[in-house]
Amino acid sequence: MIITNNLTKKYGDQIALDQLTLKVGEGEIYCLLGANGAGKSTTINLLLGFTEPTSGNASINQLDVHKNPKATKQLLAYIPENLMLYPSLTAVENLDYFSGISGKKLSTPILKDFLEEAGLQSEAFDKRISAFSKGMRQKVGIAIALAKDAKVLLLDEPTSGLDPKASNEFGQLLQKLRDKGVATLMATHDLFRAKEIGTHVGIMKDGRLKQEFIVDNITLNELEMFYLDTMTYKEETL
Amino acid sequence: MFSYNFKYELKLLLRSRWIQLLSLVLLLIFGFATYNGLQKVEKRKSDILAAKNEVKENDEMMLKLLDSVERGLSVNASPWTIPTSPMAVGTYHPRVAAMEPRPMAFLSTGQADLFTHFVKPTVRSDAFDLNFTEMTSPVQLLFGSFDLAFVVIYLLPLLIIAFSYNVLSAEKESGSLRLLAAQPIRIQSWVLQKLGLRFFWLVLLVVVSLILVFVVLRLDFLSEFSTFLGLVGLILAYTLFWFAIAFLVNLWVGSSAKNAVALLGLWVTFVLLIPSVLNQLGNTIYPMPSRNLMINEMRSLKAEVTERQDEILDNFLRDHPEYALNDSTQARGFYHRYMASQKLIREELAPLVNSFEEQLQKQQNWIARYKWLSPAVLSQESLNKMAGTAKSDYEDYRKQVVAFAEKWREHLIPFLYNNQDFTQADYGDLPSFDYQTKSNNPWMVIIAILLMSIGLFATGFVLSKNRGRNIILNQG
Repeated sequence: MIITNNLTKKYGDQIALDQLTLKVGEGEIYCLLGANGAGKSTTINLLLGFTEPTSGNASINQLDVHKNPKATKQLLAYIPENLMLYPSLTAVENLDYFSGISGKKLSTPILKDFLEEAGLQSEAFDKRISAFSKGMRQKVGIAIALAKDAKVLLLDEPTSGLDPKASNEFGQLLQKLRDKGVATLMATHDLFRAKEIGTHVGIMKDGRLKQEFIVDNITLNELEMFYLDTMTYKEETL
Repeated sequence: MFSYNFKYELKLLLRSRWIQLLSLVLLLIFGFATYNGLQKVEKRKSDILAAKNEVKENDEMMLKLLDSVERGLSVNASPWTIPTSPMAVGTYHPRVAAMEPRPMAFLSTGQADLFTHFVKPTVRSDAFDLNFTEMTSPVQLLFGSFDLAFVVIYLLPLLIIAFSYNVLSAEKESGSLRLLAAQPIRIQSWVLQKLGLRFFWLVLLVVVSLILVFVVLRLDFLSEFSTFLGLVGLILAYTLFWFAIAFLVNLWVGSSAKNAVALLGLWVTFVLLIPSVLNQLGNTIYPMPSRNLMINEMRSLKAEVTERQDEILDNFLRDHPEYALNDSTQARGFYHRYMASQKLIREELAPLVNSFEEQLQKQQNWIARYKWLSPAVLSQESLNKMAGTAKSDYEDYRKQVVAFAEKWREHLIPFLYNNQDFTQADYGDLPSFDYQTKSNNPWMVIIAILLMSIGLFATGFVLSKNRGRNIILNQG
């Protein structure tokens, strides 16, 4: 479970994130929508402990992220927009390395099972990552999450640049993880994917969470309308 | 984490061909440097052997002449060279005072390029000891030849820099650092482990390459095993120092380009700048007295002494009544006066020579005090000592030669003042020179460099304690 409470991040006078309070429960996929600079990536960075909050706090499974960085990282998996793995290692080796340094010692057959579960074709298991497409790399990222037995998944624009088929496959994988009870927070620009796989949607602007919806309660058109209204609101007031 | 880093770091290094390339480079440069060093040692040995053979041939000729004279035959030689005269023996048949190279002399040319390794002190030579005092700063003279010491001091750090400058920045630039940092690890520990593993492989390759080169060139390094261990220990400590520097730079600088520039700047500082500045400051603070002045003073003293040689000889004989008692002829010639005056010249020149040496010693002490600022200076000095080519070795050799020259003179002077002929029977009693080497212990330097390295690692850890997050987000 992910909880942020009045989470704020300032860089000098500039507010990157302003009193963000949200909750992502087990088996939920929370999609953070917003333009560039809205505060989505800052939220992810704060949850990963890459930067310290100016005020407020964030926790994963009741553990404060900044007080227990090691313990919370044990619980989470992270897939950035461009998942960069080691190009000269194979998919199995990359998975073995990243799960290994996280304290999970797994045999090769089990590693291959995770890769298969993540949707990677078996012929690719022993191929070097340098030959992989972005979609294939994202699948290895999901396999890392599976191997780590992650309770929380943080995704930063994971479908950006993926072709529709790969994006769709990725969405299905996230739904699989949701069914396993993984709490997912995904920063994205992709309204369609958010509506399709998300359970909750939050619209951010200028570091603030402007609106929140339960996905089942709104249609894609309504979501798009709310999103555009939120984005253009400032321009009108100016 | 360590076992996974160990396993995959090796795979990454092998697949990027780093290990293969490094092995080849190390074998080539160690091979060439050792061969080069051996050539110089061989030249030194052959020079000494040639000098000894010349003395041997001279001695055979001398013994033949003595035999002819003793049998009353006429000899075809200039009268002053006939070896019945002790001064002819002392002047034309000197012994070789050689500084034989140590078994590991090929390690470092050190000051071997600058000083002779054999001299033939004669009874008349009065200035050869000054030739040894023409040393300024050892640091100035430290660097130059492509020998193993040059490879270790100059080139090895450059290889380490190439091997370690982008351990963290490459991850940052490729984008994999964010994924790594999302795992339950400390980035500082991860960098330390990566560098530690690279250090391990580099040292292993260095040791294996050295052993291979020594075996191929048929060097009996096992009989000098303690020196070999010292060499390995020193390389290990010096390598660790550069990895510690790389650790700090990786954590503190940022992009790969900046890291490379920073590390090269530090290489210039430690390897070139500090030795050079120490040398310059040593010369400035303790300038050496003019050698020209000293030579002029020596000449004027000689001229003055020459004018009063009769008086000096009288005084000398007054101090040595045994010569007057043993010699019934009381015949006094050029050599009697000359040798007595030489003794006086040496005594009177002693304060001047001493002041020169004292100033040199002050300069050396000053540099010795600050050499700890640069592990490059410390390592070079240690390698020179292992090779027996350090300043202290030549100073030691000079002292032994001066003592031998005195012994040579003292052995022949009684013949002169007793007006006693030198005979074949006396040949066996002629003193010979046997160079005594001092054992050296590089472990203090090794421990000092290890402590410096540990200090740098600890500093990196402490200062970067709160920097972990900045390392990840700061794109340098």
